[in-house]
Amino acid sequence: MTSLWLAWRTVQRYRARTLLAMAGVAVIGALLFDMLLLSHGLVASFADLLNHSGYDVRVFSAQGVLLARTPIPHASELSAALERLPEVDSVARIRLARATTVGENGSDLEVAVVGSSHTGARVAWRVTKGADLPIDAGSADRCSVLAGRNLAAALKLQPGATLPMRAGARGEGSALPTVPCRVVGIAESPFTAAGEYDVLTTMQGLHEIGGGSIEPDSADLVFVASRADSGSAAAVRAIAALRPDMRVYSNDDVIEQFNRNGFAYFRQISFVLSSITVVFTFLLVATILTVSTNQRLGEIAALRALGISRRRIAAMVLWESVLIVGGGGLVALPLGGLVAIGLDRILKQMPGVPDALHFFVFESNAVALHAVLLATTAVVAAGYPIWLTARLPIASTLRREVIG
Amino acid sequence: MTSFRRRGLLLLIAAACLSAMPGSAQTASSDASPPSILVSRQLANRAHLTIGEVVTLATNQAGTSGRSFKVAGIYEPTPDPMRFTVERLEARLHLADLVGLIADPADPGTTDAVDAINIRLVNPADAEHFADELSARVPGLDVRSTSRPPDGDPFQVLDRFHLAISLVTVAGSTAFLLALMIIRAEERRETVGAMRLLGISRRSLLLEVAVEGVLIASAGAVFGALMAFGAEGIVNRVFQARYDTTLVFVRITRSIALRSLAIAVPLGVGVGIGASWTLLRRNILSLVGR
Repeated sequence: MTSLWLAWRTVQRYRARTLLAMAGVAVIGALLFDMLLLSHGLVASFADLLNHSGYDVRVFSAQGVLLARTPIPHASELSAALERLPEVDSVARIRLARATTVGENGSDLEVAVVGSSHTGARVAWRVTKGADLPIDAGSADRCSVLAGRNLAAALKLQPGATLPMRAGARGEGSALPTVPCRVVGIAESPFTAAGEYDVLTTMQGLHEIGGGSIEPDSADLVFVASRADSGSAAAVRAIAALRPDMRVYSNDDVIEQFNRNGFAYFRQISFVLSSITVVFTFLLVATILTVSTNQRLGEIAALRALGISRRRIAAMVLWESVLIVGGGGLVALPLGGLVAIGLDRILKQMPGVPDALHFFVFESNAVALHAVLLATTAVVAAGYPIWLTARLPIASTLRREVIG
Repeated sequence: MTSFRRRGLLLLIAAACLSAMPGSAQTASSDASPPSILVSRQLANRAHLTIGEVVTLATNQAGTSGRSFKVAGIYEPTPDPMRFTVERLEARLHLADLVGLIADPADPGTTDAVDAINIRLVNPADAEHFADELSARVPGLDVRSTSRPPDGDPFQVLDRFHLAISLVTVAGSTAFLLALMIIRAEERRETVGAMRLLGISRRSLLLEVAVEGVLIASAGAVFGALMAFGAEGIVNRVFQARYDTTLVFVRITRSIALRSLAIAVPLGVGVGIGASWTLLRRNILSLVGR
């Protein structure tokens, strides 16, 4: 009879307590798994989101503070200069503005307007219905827009519909006229937050919406795609040398900065909770095994008296721990996945978090680390009960148990 | 004389509260001695600044067109949970001094420009109404209440996140506790059988288990709360040192401690009674092994 078989018989005999212990490990293991997913998930998702745009370098004006940079003037000149660099493959200009449209009930609805020098497909807007945005030169319309999914759903917009737009935030007084924009298509942007209404338009369209107040040859941000043989770092160096008056960041720089600052809270909470869950699992499994072993001292002494070696008894206790933690750990993975979906949904209620961004991202490394941590916990938790059984005096234990 | 030449190292803040600064901007600029500034503790530490020292502030890396200022004091920046990971390398200047430093002489508009105006209302409850009215009257202004927005408050979202994690932890703990209580009930099987044989009713035994549960669960909950109180200081000190801030990261309030007690005690008692009930409902003879 092997140690594993002995352990299996024991867990079958004490089925209720074993199942409950496994359930406990499963729930706590699920939390541990989620914290491991969280430890790197947001950064991985953010990197995926940035790389999804198809551009790996971002150029901003050096004027102004981080969230309120002055637009880059003469942006088309800058674009042309950047496109001439051997390290650069393509360039796209982006200008952002706020505008207001009329909601279904007649109230003002605030819309984020993204002006682009390129079509939607070139700046990561996926057209789901209708046509893509025409580039400025080929557009006959004064103001063509791609309506974001949320706005299209809220106003029941279809391609060909007219969307009245006026520059300025909701509730803000404005003497600017309302511009009738034509919806050429419905599209999804990975950068749109839940509940946020946005449209993509041409630079000319943005100029029209702004009533001439928004300079069409300006940009808040210039996207640059580096050539594959040069890489983003070389492109950053070349652009910085060409235009020292600009701030130039590669996607890797942005991710690194985000990892250091914006993500710090979640990394810390992930580390703290992972540590607590591992200690918690260890304490509880060790307690259950110890109490269970104490309860079965007579039985274990009898097995020893029958000639089963100390080593096999110790292995049996270790297998019991492995069965409890292993069984619970296996259930923890799908359970953790479900809990992660719920927790992700809660965290995505934060303002401004894009729909495509996730806090919990499945990674095989997290599964491997989860398995290693639980296996270590199982072994360490079995340590004290193994020590108890190893030093068990057979004769006196049997005598005490029989008299008892 | 110390120069700050590192780009992005310094965040200049125009002091709106002139009373916090010794002397007025008017006096400072007309006086022969350089105007006064306050520097944050973090900046003072990083640049080894002392009170009375004269420093040069410039808006470009080369340090050209820089101006001299005298460090009048060192201040602790107000902790900001939205920016706790950011190193607070800041200096506070009189508004006129800051404008003098950054204004473009070729553009007269820049000599009378500010980034923001803080307004204290007579009745703070009117903030939303005031913001709407001012926005409507002055196009182009972004007017916001400084109080937390009712919708989309990131801290409310974090509250919900922590609550969800707590619920998962409570579910896991309950399963473990139930397993332990079942083992414990099994241990007492013969004792319970003997008591039943002596005529003690199931109700009395259940009551005994409930009272025992209240005592153990209360002791456990109090111990947990004390542990949390102990950990509070450690966690705060570790994170305050890590981020060089005075921000309080963990605060165990009376209501949190009471809420924990309110969850832990009934849960402990319920689990104890549930585990004992599996034993008490058995036949007396099976309890004593007959």
